[in-house]
Amino acid sequence: MRSLRAWLLRLGGLFQQHRRDSELADELESHLAMHIEDNLRAGMSAEEARRAALLKLGGLEQTKENYRDRGGLPFLETLFQDFRFALRMFRKNPGVTAIAVLTLALGIGANTTIFSWVRSVLLNPLPGSGDPGRVVALETLAPNGDWLPTSYLDFRDLRENCKLVESMSVMKPMVLAVGNESTVEHVWSEAVSGNYFELLQVKPQVGRFFSTAEVDHEQNAHPLVVIAHSYWINHFHGDPGVIGATVRINHFPYTVIGVAPKTFHGSMAGLSFSMWVPATMYGQLSSTGDQTLRDRKWRTFRVLARLSPGASTEQARAEVQSQANQMARRDADTNEGMSATLLPLWKAHYGIQDSLLGPLSSLMAASGVVLLIVCANVANLLLARSTSRQKEFSVRLALGAPRFRLVRQLLTESLLIAAAGSVAGLAFAIPLGRSLGDLLPHSSLPTLTQAPIDAGVLFFVIALTCVVALLAGIAPAMHAAKSNVQATLKEGGRTGGSSARSARLLGWFVTSEMALATVALIVAGLFVKSFHHASEIRPGFDPDHVAIAQLSLGAANYDAEQANSFCMRLREKLEGAPGVAAVSYTDYVPLSVAAGSWEDLQVQGYVASPSENMKIYRTLAAPGYFALMKIALLEGRDFNARDDMKGPPVMIVNQEFVRRFIPSGTAIGRRVQGWGKWFTIVGVASDSKIYRLTEAPMPYFYVPIRQIYRPEMGLVFFVRTSGTMDGAISTLRQEVQTVDPTVPLLEATPLNDGISLSLFTQRISASLLSVLGSVALFLAALGLYGVMAYSVAQRTNEIGLRMALGAQRSDISRVVLGQGARLAGIGVIAGALVAFAITRLLSSLLFGVSASDPLTFVGVAVLLTMVAMAACFIPAWRAMHVDPMVALRYE
Amino acid sequence: MGDKADVWQGTLALMILKTLESMGALHGYGIARRIEQISGDILSVNYGTLYPALLKLEQEGYVASEWGVSDNNRRAKYYKLTRAGRKQLAKEARDWEQTTAILAKFLSAAEQS
Repeated sequence: MRSLRAWLLRLGGLFQQHRRDSELADELESHLAMHIEDNLRAGMSAEEARRAALLKLGGLEQTKENYRDRGGLPFLETLFQDFRFALRMFRKNPGVTAIAVLTLALGIGANTTIFSWVRSVLLNPLPGSGDPGRVVALETLAPNGDWLPTSYLDFRDLRENCKLVESMSVMKPMVLAVGNESTVEHVWSEAVSGNYFELLQVKPQVGRFFSTAEVDHEQNAHPLVVIAHSYWINHFHGDPGVIGATVRINHFPYTVIGVAPKTFHGSMAGLSFSMWVPATMYGQLSSTGDQTLRDRKWRTFRVLARLSPGASTEQARAEVQSQANQMARRDADTNEGMSATLLPLWKAHYGIQDSLLGPLSSLMAASGVVLLIVCANVANLLLARSTSRQKEFSVRLALGAPRFRLVRQLLTESLLIAAAGSVAGLAFAIPLGRSLGDLLPHSSLPTLTQAPIDAGVLFFVIALTCVVALLAGIAPAMHAAKSNVQATLKEGGRTGGSSARSARLLGWFVTSEMALATVALIVAGLFVKSFHHASEIRPGFDPDHVAIAQLSLGAANYDAEQANSFCMRLREKLEGAPGVAAVSYTDYVPLSVAAGSWEDLQVQGYVASPSENMKIYRTLAAPGYFALMKIALLEGRDFNARDDMKGPPVMIVNQEFVRRFIPSGTAIGRRVQGWGKWFTIVGVASDSKIYRLTEAPMPYFYVPIRQIYRPEMGLVFFVRTSGTMDGAISTLRQEVQTVDPTVPLLEATPLNDGISLSLFTQRISASLLSVLGSVALFLAALGLYGVMAYSVAQRTNEIGLRMALGAQRSDISRVVLGQGARLAGIGVIAGALVAFAITRLLSSLLFGVSASDPLTFVGVAVLLTMVAMAACFIPAWRAMHVDPMVALRYE
Repeated sequence: MGDKADVWQGTLALMILKTLESMGALHGYGIARRIEQISGDILSVNYGTLYPALLKLEQEGYVASEWGVSDNNRRAKYYKLTRAGRKQLAKEARDWEQTTAILAKFLSAAEQS
């Protein structure tokens, strides 16, 4: 307590040092006067009295020094001194300081931006929820290991039986049509079970949330809705009286019971939902009746779970697996071979994290490499400067400064530079962080476009600043502290004898910079090449001049018959519109981010082995789809208007389907069982890409949309246009509006947009890594140039001497270029070796290019060597033109 | 002067507090003289440590200081004991007595053996 008081007073004392000093002087003076008086009284002569008193008082300055130390906090005071001195040094070398700060800003800004993305997508996917670290995703596994959504009944069973998860909730993203006929608006929402908010530990801003007892059992009995904070502000002006109000959703009246807090956006990373409705209302809202919640085969829902206290993910996963395996036996008709697993959220397959995990981790690594290069550059600058300050350090050491004070001084300087770099870096990380939205796949989902710079990110920046200060500052500081006092002082007036030691250190930094740049460029080169390969793949259909519109008939509360008549009318209208060459519709967009749907098939005459996966992906297509997409029908016929509910079930399969399941005989006329019905194959279509451009051919089939379609499935209208794309898109929008304005049109885009989307991860990896790679190259070249220029400047005397002794200019330039080439060459070779070791980790992200692609490796090596030589050219030229007379006189 | 013992660390604060208790308010010079006198001029107070020690006691709240005028009409800074200082003096004196008692026992025991 006492010492705290003393400490505070001393802290305060820092700011009144001057007053305290003068007071002490007064006090000592009066002390001296009294002593002299006493001495005089004791009979000494005036002179003697004074001398004795001064002697007794001891070292006046030392007393003052002790007093000052006690009055303030010497540690802080010297820190301030260091800061002041550092600032003075920066003012003296504004150029060097500016370069250091700017390159640091570049490195720190890039790292901060990418970290803020990583944080909002991977590390903190559930903002606004409590203890999100204990929340995991549950996914159903198909027999072939594919992940699937979960059926409501499976979810109920798992929730009952798993003891290691405290709670489990389903959710299903839906588009709802909210409002009256005239003012309908399409709102992204989640259908969730009653404990959803409880599981995520979210407290209502206003009102209440659902309760399990209330909403999890009876179907279609609780028309309740929770609205998001932003929706509350935008539509109800933040009026707390909204509780109890009625909103019309898909024509049904729903009662608002609560408002979610501002920070909460729903359960999917990077996406922002505006409403939550009970999952038990799903049947009503999607016009599927009771089926979805009563049928184990309708795997519709995402599932999140909160681990019980003390349970680990592994333990809970084992339990979920064993429960799912039991269910696979108990409900063998629907679940045979199926299993389930728990995944940490960042590994879950729903949401943007799935497609961003790979790109973001490679970007984080690449920006780390750039930061290391920046550190090496700054270390070089500081080292060069500390070498030329050798004399100052030696004088300070000679005057008795402890070596650690010098280290501290220099580390303070590097910390200040790093801090300035961080502030500047943050300044441009903030606008860059907002550009997260541009990075996300362009889709109809509402995305949170802003990666917030929050406390976590700031903490990251502060930690980064300290690491950078240490990385960049420690070598120059240690180097300075080791300086040999006598040797340096003996060198006399010469400014900074560049010792062999510091030259070695500089060379080491430049070599590692070159190595890092080599790694960065090789990785970037591999991604660029892979993107190039992937974008040259033909999808097997012709996406040019095709516009698509995605609709949600479920939200318009249609039944199957109404859906059909809507499609017929829309098709008719579109076919009559100007510029439209062909129209068709399906339930699936090829090469979109969604995986599509599959069906368990049984092919006549084909005996599947017990472990074989007969879940085959499919598209429900209307007549004219193959012609519109220019997918060749190799055998048989297209669907036609008679292939409806009343007609016999028919199917068109692709070549790979035939290759696998019908190796002999003709495919046409062969019968295939699915959905409990026997379909007859009436056509064979050529293979086309379904999910990814980079996939291998897989068995696929098409069924007439009228024979299977349910309104809650997706609906996509395709239009091939003979006019402009914009015209086609506005025609689509307009005709949907004419036929039924209450049908939500989720998106109308060129089909090619979706295809570039399937290359999305490849594209951002390639483009952003190229940017970072070029930055790395530039910085490494800058570093090499700096070191070479510095070395030439240091050796001006030597060069002059050599020339005076008869060396030719070409000899001089050969020496300089040789030195540069040696530094760069070792770096490039070391970098290529490191790259060779780490690129194999990336092979899963690469397409059509080997992880050790010789062309990329050699190309990067050549490029770096050329850039290195260019960076050495100016110093070499300067060395060649040293005037021996001037150089020698310079001494 | 060289043959006089310096006041060793740690005991100076106790001596200052005791001096102020018995003498009342006193200036730095007076405190130093008083300590030297009491010791029979065996001790010599190093002023380079006296003033920092006074400052420390003041920061800790055991003494308070004030500028005043000395007997010979000279401006001087007077130190006086605070309540906390009185308590601290009692405590330190007790501690010190304990220590010396233990040491005395120890030394006499060592002699006997």
